[in-house]
Amino acid sequence: MSIIDLTSMGEPQSEQRKELNDRLTKLQDEISDYCFQCARCTSGCEAHKLLELEPHKIVALLKRGLINELVNADVIWTCMTCLKCRERCPQRVAPVEILFALKNIAVANGKQIPGKYTAMLQSILSIGLIQDIQQTTTRTNKTVKREELGLPPLSKPTDVAKFQAGIMKIAMEKV
Amino acid sequence: MKKKYALFPGCLMPTEQYAYELSIRETLPLLDVELVDVEGFSCCGEPMKSVNQLLTLYLSARNLAIAQKHHLDLFVPCAMCHLALTECQHILEKNPAMKDRINDMLVAEDLAYTEKRHIVHTVDLLHDEIGVQKIKEHVKKPLQGVKIAVHYGCHILRPRELGRPDDSENPQKIEAILKALGAEPVNYPQKLDCCGAPLLANLPESALTKTGQKLQAIQEQGIQGLVDVCPWCHKMFDSRQTKAGETVAAKLDVPVVYLTQLLGVAFGLSAEKLGLDLNLSPVEKLQLEAAK
Repeated sequence: MSIIDLTSMGEPQSEQRKELNDRLTKLQDEISDYCFQCARCTSGCEAHKLLELEPHKIVALLKRGLINELVNADVIWTCMTCLKCRERCPQRVAPVEILFALKNIAVANGKQIPGKYTAMLQSILSIGLIQDIQQTTTRTNKTVKREELGLPPLSKPTDVAKFQAGIMKIAMEKV
Repeated sequence: MKKKYALFPGCLMPTEQYAYELSIRETLPLLDVELVDVEGFSCCGEPMKSVNQLLTLYLSARNLAIAQKHHLDLFVPCAMCHLALTECQHILEKNPAMKDRINDMLVAEDLAYTEKRHIVHTVDLLHDEIGVQKIKEHVKKPLQGVKIAVHYGCHILRPRELGRPDDSENPQKIEAILKALGAEPVNYPQKLDCCGAPLLANLPESALTKTGQKLQAIQEQGIQGLVDVCPWCHKMFDSRQTKAGETVAAKLDVPVVYLTQLLGVAFGLSAEKLGLDLNLSPVEKLQLEAAK
């Protein structure tokens, strides 16, 4: 199994794409319908001032059916997932969840995954965790390893082949 | 009565945020909490939520299934992991079709999710399960004169509808714990601001700017230090503080400690046992008895 299986839209994943599309359609038809553009989400958005994310506009664009444009926009990757928009929306719209769905579709469509996500995914596939044990330093610049601190062994999947087989099912799954 | 939990370490705490793990393992047993180390846990899945939510759900479910196999409730010290596992349990309980689908996949590892577990984070474990009164009884060296700001971390506060360890808009449990330790929590306008960590994967500069802005605000208000309860937040505020300062053109000098480290200091434990030398921020400025 490779990263490609999990992230690209190879044939086996067409069902998964359908599921994502269904979910977005649901968001588009039902949830964002309740949005009356009060912009309370944007006023509290952690990514707004710094990166110009405007959650209420994402919802408005979605409502107008501009899914492809949203999926291909870099701005969907600026969300800090602070969840304030979901918490504070008077209409129970959850822009953060819409953004997750859009990012998932971008990945499923084979758009290049930004940053270190691919490396983290690779690490999860090989050892079950996003990174292995790191050597750290103290304030006085001494290097320290986990075992030197008397901490027990790392908890991680014991049978990696079985662990990967489970994840493989996500890549190959037909609904 | 002794409380027993599987310690769910996640990825970040056991691979680099050793001070959190050390201070947890030193302090909680003193409060009659038995932590059980369980083999086979993996990433909670939360870091993959932007890539593939089904993968997130699957990874969380397999961890819940492992805890279930050992008949254990879960103590999850990381805010991100705590949200992932809580949300997964919520979905599996509410959506039988999804539960069946996930269980079909879990067969590969001879696992199954069938029953709910109790999932606690550091804040609700200390405040709700153990209780402020009991914590107070264990204090040997009150943290007198320590005036400190609190950072909760977004993922332990929201979304409220899933049931989070503290109130989404006005959390006060850490403040209550700090008061029990003899310290003085300081209120500040940026209390609910994000640490920036979720952007580390794809926009590291912006992530650090977020961190720098919050720390700078704390420094400018003359607050002595910051206490946190999540390995991601701590990585930003403590481990990356110097770099965060560069993004906002400020020389940052804010001591940042884990709540469990302060707990340990108040309980009379040594700096070494609590990993206080692993904090890269100037914790000696807090003039904690143990750190001298």
